[in-house]
Amino acid sequence: MKLALKLVAVVIVALIIGAGSALLFIRGAGLGGDVAVGPWQTSLVIGSSQADPYTRAQIAVAGLLALNRAETVYFTASHDDAGDKLRSDCTYKMAGSDPPARWWSVTLYGADHYLVPNPLDRYSYGGDTVAREADGSFVIVVGPEETNGNWIPTGGRTGDTFSLTLRLYNPEPEAARDPSGVVLPHIAKEACRT
Amino acid sequence: MKTWPMWAAGTIALVAVFHTLTVFGLPYGIMNRAMAGIASQAGGVNKPVYPDRPSAEARGIVRPSPDLLYTACVYDVSARPVKLTSPVPDTYWSLSTFASNTDNFFVVNDRQVKTDRIEIILASSEEAGSNKGIPVIVAPSSKGIVLFRSLVPSEDLRAEIDTKRRQANCEPL
Repeated sequence: MKLALKLVAVVIVALIIGAGSALLFIRGAGLGGDVAVGPWQTSLVIGSSQADPYTRAQIAVAGLLALNRAETVYFTASHDDAGDKLRSDCTYKMAGSDPPARWWSVTLYGADHYLVPNPLDRYSYGGDTVAREADGSFVIVVGPEETNGNWIPTGGRTGDTFSLTLRLYNPEPEAARDPSGVVLPHIAKEACRT
Repeated sequence: MKTWPMWAAGTIALVAVFHTLTVFGLPYGIMNRAMAGIASQAGGVNKPVYPDRPSAEARGIVRPSPDLLYTACVYDVSARPVKLTSPVPDTYWSLSTFASNTDNFFVVNDRQVKTDRIEIILASSEEAGSNKGIPVIVAPSSKGIVLFRSLVPSEDLRAEIDTKRRQANCEPL
């Protein structure tokens, strides 16, 4: 009887530690990847049968039904240029020019990987919808307060974090082959409420 | 005789087993949940569902793109092949298929389809799917997800693209 109890305890402890450590690692890794361009990260094996088990699990949790990189390259940023976490109560300026793809969009997601509620139902800008500067570049303000020009609302709740995903649909072959060479928008923190 | 080293070693081995099972099993579990959700909305497998534009209320699939209209179906080729059909618009469009382990095993976009309509057969083997010259894609798992993506580049075009994507279909052959 004592032995049986010991065995059950061992299995329960092992289950909690084994499954828990896997979930913590997978959820903690988010959509990060093996390629970084400034604050943006991507993985070369998203959607691919070559993905290792950890990458496949991370994609299942944070990017289910992602396409392979020949079709779409997904860059995700959860930090700004300075390496600080993107916070919903802070305002950021994202400035850049068209990445090398047929079409692109940048979308904001909450920490739960879903779109963040806002009165305008505005979650993203794309190459066709973003307002541009005179030289063709763009500036998108990402923050809790509405501004003139391009603005993606963060929701503004203190303590919340968010991430941005930049999708490059039908990327140029060089960008698909080596995403580390793509020039991507900067994400600079302007101010925080707290 | 001290037995705690044996218990410690056994516990560590079991931790490794549960850790590995979780890492390998999680994609299947998440795909199963996604397939159940899509099949429930569509009224079964091999039937399409046409969700509205993704919004903050959408909780089906993580990180949806609000710039796209999605059409999805759960394929099941265990008994019969499945025929996928769709009009192909002038704007960005793709048809992609995902195995039960989440792998994206096939994708084709509007520029690769040289006509304004696509027909593809999804089957468990080349032989099972051969049919009147329609291209056959062999699915690595008997069940999975088919996803049509239609870009809505401007609100002016939403109604037109929505009408077109609602003609996409998945049906047993």
